[in-house]
Amino acid sequence: MKTLRLRPYLSAFRVRALLETQYRGAALGGLVTQMFFGLVYIALYHALYASGGAQETPLAEVVTYVWLQQMAFRALLSADGELNERVLSGGIAYDLCRPVDPWGWWFSRAVAQKLVGMLMRGAPMVFLQFVLPVGYRMALPPTWGAGAAFAVSLMAGLAVIAAVDAIRSAVVMRTLDARGVSAMIQLLMMIFAGNVIPLTLFPAQVQGLIRFQPFAQALDAPIRLYLGGGDFLLTLGMQLGWLLALGWLGRGMWRRQLLRVTIQGG
Amino acid sequence: MAYMEAEDLTRFFLRKKRVKEGGFRRWVARERETVKALDHASFQVEAGELVGLIGPNGAGKSTTVKLLTGILTPTEGACRVAGRVPWAERKQHVRELGVVFGQRTQLWWDVPIADSFDLLREIYDRPRNDWAERLRQISAALELEPLLRTPLRQLSLGQRMRAEVCGSLLHRPRLLFLDEPTIGLDAVSKLALRSFLKEENRREGTTILLTTHDMEDMLALCSRVLVLGHGKLLYDGALQELLRRYDTVHTLRCTFAGEVTLPPPPPGCVLRRDGDAVEVDYPPAQVPTGDMLDWVRRAGPLREMTLKEQNVDQLIARMYQELAL
Repeated sequence: MKTLRLRPYLSAFRVRALLETQYRGAALGGLVTQMFFGLVYIALYHALYASGGAQETPLAEVVTYVWLQQMAFRALLSADGELNERVLSGGIAYDLCRPVDPWGWWFSRAVAQKLVGMLMRGAPMVFLQFVLPVGYRMALPPTWGAGAAFAVSLMAGLAVIAAVDAIRSAVVMRTLDARGVSAMIQLLMMIFAGNVIPLTLFPAQVQGLIRFQPFAQALDAPIRLYLGGGDFLLTLGMQLGWLLALGWLGRGMWRRQLLRVTIQGG
Repeated sequence: MAYMEAEDLTRFFLRKKRVKEGGFRRWVARERETVKALDHASFQVEAGELVGLIGPNGAGKSTTVKLLTGILTPTEGACRVAGRVPWAERKQHVRELGVVFGQRTQLWWDVPIADSFDLLREIYDRPRNDWAERLRQISAALELEPLLRTPLRQLSLGQRMRAEVCGSLLHRPRLLFLDEPTIGLDAVSKLALRSFLKEENRREGTTILLTTHDMEDMLALCSRVLVLGHGKLLYDGALQELLRRYDTVHTLRCTFAGEVTLPPPPPGCVLRRDGDAVEVDYPPAQVPTGDMLDWVRRAGPLREMTLKEQNVDQLIARMYQELAL
């Protein structure tokens, strides 16, 4: 049996996490943007609920859902341009001369970037809740257990997002440009992770379907746990299942790409 | 079994070309053309050898290196390094491999080079003591110590190249690929790098494969060369032998005291006047240099004389010409 060496991947994680903390201006910009979007969405839902028509989901839950989505928004963004730069500059030739699994390498980096980026924007947003008017404020989880379940599930959700990102990077290896595939994946993510419209607001008939698709495992699943709904073990099992499936797919794609690499010139 | 073996190693590329003429067709149709970057090359390298890979631009040198590093897969044929197929067993293979691609960088741009080296240690997952020892040894030899805390972007080209070479050797590779390591370096840096590589090869027994356009590098480092042209392996053997084969013209330049009438030079010679001086090109294989001296003595009282061999660049240019490269 081959021994799995974790150190290279931990160092990929550490280096990328440190780099992310350097982008403080971007974090501040993101913070302002996410606060703005959160307030606009919530104002919209206030108007929607006020105009009548009983909704199954209470408004307070929608408000909390929207804030949690905005706090975690950074994680959905595919913002690591380094692979694209490595591919264009040919520096990827060096990367392929390292005794590491490239899928694992880019996966570790994605987890680091998404985790740190999310914390840098999300944590201050928690404190900003106190200055908001009551109807616009997010609620605490109903129980300690719900909060803990949320935290664990959110980490699994980040891993799912990073696995999607590693698939994206395998596509970049093929197309040599990140823009198209990044835009596509980001759109899918924002819609099907519940960032644009909370997945809890979709009709009851499609709930069964929409909760089980991979993007819902990213943020929707942890947020439902936060709101006190859903079974923790079932949710976590579903997340890990998708993580395995996406990881298997991504690694396979990377392996195929490595066999058809062309590095031009000198 | 030799340390490194290539058997009919071949790599084709497809080059796509847009069709030139035609309205709609231009957007859809593409012409494809097969480029034979490496065409059935076979060679063997023993452990501890220092081998040069030469050939004009586009000859297939880099393709050969990329096949042997496992970055590229061969279209046909096979290669093995230490019994492994590089691309199939990439991770195990590259663990024992050091690479320097002269025109790219493996170190991180914004951080002190010592931090880059630290990161490499984690990537190769090597023990701290051994790494520190090795870093001390190499940075002393390459005079890198005062630069270790400097970010890469603030180093000069020569310093950067030394840092790259250091980075490629810290994990004690058994095999080192150097792709134009002296490109753009000044004379002092070149000499320092050459003597370091030679010493590394001697002391650690590292097998080194070097591609370069700098023939002085070749002369200084490689006793054996592989010559590639149009993807084919054209010569595999001693560099000195290769030079002898193409060393076909020497030039004798003389100035005489006073006016002289020159006797006809031996057959095969070309006579030129250059101001006061007389220059004769002669083929040393047919006309011994002694005969030329006799001829000069017969011409009259000699004031000054120099004998020029062609430099290596001219020899190589002649070889490329002759092989129609």
